[in-house]
Amino acid sequence: MWQRVLIVFKKEVMDNARDRRSLLIALIYPLLGPLIMGLMIVAVGKATVSGGGQAMSLAVKGIENGPMLVDWLAQKGVEVVPAPADVEAAVKDGSVEVVLVIPAGFTTEMAAETTTRLTIVVNTSRLSGFVSVNRVASLLGVFNNEIWGQRIASRGVAFRALQPIEIDNINVTSGAQIADILLFMVPPLFIFNLFMGGVYLAIDTTSGERERGSLEPLLINPIERSALVFGKFLAALLYTGIAVVVQLLALKFAFHMAGGEGSNFTYTLGMRTILGIILVMLPLMMAAVAVQFIIATITRSFKEAQTYLGLLPLIPAIPGMVLVFAPVQANTWMMTIPTFSQTLLLGQILRGDTLVAAHVAISLLATLAFACALIAIAVRLYEREELIFGG
Amino acid sequence: MIEVQSLKKSFNDVVALAGIDFTARDGEVTGLIGPNGAGKTTALRIIYTVMKANSGSVLVDGFDTARQRLAVQRRIGVLPDGRGLYPRLTAREHIRYYGRLHGLAAADLEQRINTLCDILTMHEFIDRRAKGFSKGQTRKVTLARALVHEPHNLLLDEPTNGLDIASSRAVHGLIRSIRDQGRCVLFCSHIMSEVAAICDRIVVIAQGHIVASGTVPELMTQTGRENLEDVFLSLTGSTEWA
Repeated sequence: MWQRVLIVFKKEVMDNARDRRSLLIALIYPLLGPLIMGLMIVAVGKATVSGGGQAMSLAVKGIENGPMLVDWLAQKGVEVVPAPADVEAAVKDGSVEVVLVIPAGFTTEMAAETTTRLTIVVNTSRLSGFVSVNRVASLLGVFNNEIWGQRIASRGVAFRALQPIEIDNINVTSGAQIADILLFMVPPLFIFNLFMGGVYLAIDTTSGERERGSLEPLLINPIERSALVFGKFLAALLYTGIAVVVQLLALKFAFHMAGGEGSNFTYTLGMRTILGIILVMLPLMMAAVAVQFIIATITRSFKEAQTYLGLLPLIPAIPGMVLVFAPVQANTWMMTIPTFSQTLLLGQILRGDTLVAAHVAISLLATLAFACALIAIAVRLYEREELIFGG
Repeated sequence: MIEVQSLKKSFNDVVALAGIDFTARDGEVTGLIGPNGAGKTTALRIIYTVMKANSGSVLVDGFDTARQRLAVQRRIGVLPDGRGLYPRLTAREHIRYYGRLHGLAAADLEQRINTLCDILTMHEFIDRRAKGFSKGQTRKVTLARALVHEPHNLLLDEPTNGLDIASSRAVHGLIRSIRDQGRCVLFCSHIMSEVAAICDRIVVIAQGHIVASGTVPELMTQTGRENLEDVFLSLTGSTEWA
């Protein structure tokens, strides 16, 4: 039987290697995700690298109006520079990230111990502006507290008594690394690609074969239906595997580029990690191809199959997309869910967390069982005569 | 030899075959003829194993199509109703794929492909990809892949449908030479002149029943008509567009 499986496998691999669409999906599509990610990591890295503990420069309009505030800022390590003439235009076009406006009456109002108004001009549609305005606002908050404390003290009240809490920020990541959040985007991207890689071949060899009218003569050859399904299945699995490997190598490259000098992106993707990821993903690849086979077999036409299978990769990618915004702690029961367990494990592998061996084992076995059940269904479908004649 | 016994097949409520019996003998060309929708293709599909009968049986060289599918499949060569090619494979690769599935060894297989290429005069396009093949070229490839394992029984569904005169004659010649080797040929066709020219025995099927069978002269005597078209019309009960 395996000899015939191999004959079908070889034919489908060769046939689809001559098809531009199959190759595009297996070799080129997987590059797009890592490419976009790499660019984002570099861009975000640049925006946030100034946000760390380093000195910051702040454009101020009306420096002459508030020498006291300007001196205070200088003490805090802020380099105060004069703002350009047209403040709003400059902030809008991005030549200045943020501008602090000190009004003309600042010094007299401070001396009179009344309330004065400061303005921060910022363009928050820029990530770097968002980071800067946070720093300026928190600095001004500290300034506000100090003045307030002085005024209270001058009235004979203990300032400390009125301050129940003091907040120290400790960021557990090494620096303000928004780039890390991008790491959470890798699993859904990866799962999407995994469900995409062999899809064209799966459709072409099932509903495509029926639509061309080549299925009926093929089934007359002395070959077990299961051998036919396995041969086609393995060919689609190979193309899925190629797409997965291409994407992993592209990610490795993207990480390498993002982690260049002066960047706070510290993740790398070693060859051993890549092999680990492939092992963890193998049962899911099998399940993905089996689902594609079942859908492409029961749909009536190539186009119908294409419509459904074009949407399919979004569904398993959803948990991963949710996890980008709401990370969860991995539990044992989660490892029984195909695609979800791989999303969690892949996240852990990428972040360099220690994997729980039982989690990996449960994920592998549960998804493998799921895949085998799906393959059995696909073989059953091929035993039905409706397969050839539709309906 | 193909023996069909009490074969019945329904699709939902529609009766396609209401219990048919006939035998296609070795060394003979048996023609299965009947109007559109009479059940010819359904009968052939059950014989060549892609459909299951509701009841009755088909034996090919003594092997049961339902219970010994692979054994039957090794003994038949089929030009089925569905006759699509793979657009990205060459003619040679098509024949090779089917030969391999029949378990032919490489050297023997390549030899047979070359022989078929000679018989069917396929030299011009044997190494071209099938995309853009003419009807005649496509038919030659489908015939060649049906013949590559030298099956003892040949089943042909409308083998010359859509072919020009020269190609049709080539197919007829091929069918006769296969019969002369003592092999069994069963084919269905609409073209009465073709049936008259190459069939040794005719089975007439209408509305799922066998309405007559015998040699062409036998059927003429039976119906009292002098040409096969009239015989056909009188047997199937269809005068004009019924």
